[in-house]
Amino acid sequence: MNRNMKKWLEELRQSKTKKPLPVLSFPAVQLMGISVPELISDSDLQAEGMKRITDRVNSAASVSLMDLSVEAECFGANIVISDNEVPTVKGAVVTSFEEAEALEIPAVGTCRTGIYIDGIRKAVEKISDRPVFAGMIGPYSLAGRLLEVTEIMFLCYDEPETVQLVLNKVTEFLIAYGKAYKEAGANGILIAEPLAGLLSPSMMDVFSSPYVKRIVDALQDENFLVLYHNCGNNTVQSLDSILSIGAAAYHFGNAVSMKDVLNRVPENTVVMGNIDPAGELRHGTPDSVRTAVRKLLEECSGYSNFVISSGCDIPPMSKWENIDAFFDETAKFYQEGVLKQ
Amino acid sequence: MAGMNVVGVKFKNNEIFVPEVLVAARAMNQGAALLKPLLAAEGAKASGRVCIGTVKGDLHDIGKNLVKMMIEGKGLEVIDLGTDVPPEKFISTAIEQNCQIIGLSALLTTTMPVMREVVEAAKAAGIRDHVKIMIGGAPVTQAFCDEIGADVYTPDAPSAAEKAVELCRQL
Repeated sequence: MNRNMKKWLEELRQSKTKKPLPVLSFPAVQLMGISVPELISDSDLQAEGMKRITDRVNSAASVSLMDLSVEAECFGANIVISDNEVPTVKGAVVTSFEEAEALEIPAVGTCRTGIYIDGIRKAVEKISDRPVFAGMIGPYSLAGRLLEVTEIMFLCYDEPETVQLVLNKVTEFLIAYGKAYKEAGANGILIAEPLAGLLSPSMMDVFSSPYVKRIVDALQDENFLVLYHNCGNNTVQSLDSILSIGAAAYHFGNAVSMKDVLNRVPENTVVMGNIDPAGELRHGTPDSVRTAVRKLLEECSGYSNFVISSGCDIPPMSKWENIDAFFDETAKFYQEGVLKQ
Repeated sequence: MAGMNVVGVKFKNNEIFVPEVLVAARAMNQGAALLKPLLAAEGAKASGRVCIGTVKGDLHDIGKNLVKMMIEGKGLEVIDLGTDVPPEKFISTAIEQNCQIIGLSALLTTTMPVMREVVEAAKAAGIRDHVKIMIGGAPVTQAFCDEIGADVYTPDAPSAAEKAVELCRQL
């Protein structure tokens, strides 16, 4: 459904009773009685999963799968798939400058990107009461999967030209991929750039932010927003670099204090985060989730630009009683605030 | 090696980041490799031995690599078992190589239970009294460490290296 997304975001920012916007999609496997391999290989199941979640929870938006193997697989990476966990990439595709030069930019729609784009096309037909965001990996995180995540850290010092060559190629691909999501009817994308969360601010300035900015500049407009996700532990130190990309909103993980982030972000910029998805939503209890939600909201709800979320993608087998508690406690907290006024 | 202590402190304080630590540790390890034969000829020995790996079902290794390099930087010997390591491999390596510590890493919530399997396998093998088990990784917590009966949880690589040295001194 076509929406004025800038207006939607501003309304969310100004709302006194903010709905949560967690990265919630993989736990649909439990609602549907299917496995992760089934979900990631079928666009109908993806759309149905997103619909089942929107029927169950009162979220600000629907967010598609944060599957950070899709794009790497397109470039030829080996993928390891398991029944209950998000897919992971094994090994390197590029091991030298020559291989980086020879690396071909795949056509969007090949491998599973076609399924994911179709999944969004079908999801926007089913979901009309809230925006639908597609999920996409960030350029440094994708380059890391192609060069191997430890190796890219060395290469940033040893062979920066190899890293930059790969970054240019993956950025071109990601822009085309994002455009395909836009054409499929998504209201925006959530770009996940977690690997950049391990870089120093100055290296992020060189190896991540300019490439993310290129994607943002190519895709973002009034009807299509880019949300930026980084769950690394250096995001507070790197905020100037991160904010330079010009995304519509920023989503941070539980490795950092949301209050520290909010103190350094302009109040007209929406910031989301950061309930621990593994510790609380996967392994916690409804009571511990409620305590964590209330603590975070007590700290951060005073910032008008704060929207509560999970700190990262919510794992497939997270307990639904915990996810329900997350939404219920948030609603209760804001309702109490309204009643006090 | 004293330089790596400075690196560890700066990393903990967010003054330097993962790439800088990896590059510093690589330089230290390459230097140590040159010195090792000379030190061995003088009768010097590593102050402890650790086998480390990412548990079965999990292929993530940057955290494990970082811990490995920082432990080596503290003068301990590290046997890197790689990723997707089954419990029996940790146990057999610890026995055959006389390791004082087994180090377990996991990034996935679904592979964390393998850490418990390693603890149980260590008990069954009768090595629990003289081999310490350290765990770490993004979803791992102190509460989980207590729950499965592992010895030590550390939230970051420098702390893991410091703790490994401390454990080896005690054993």
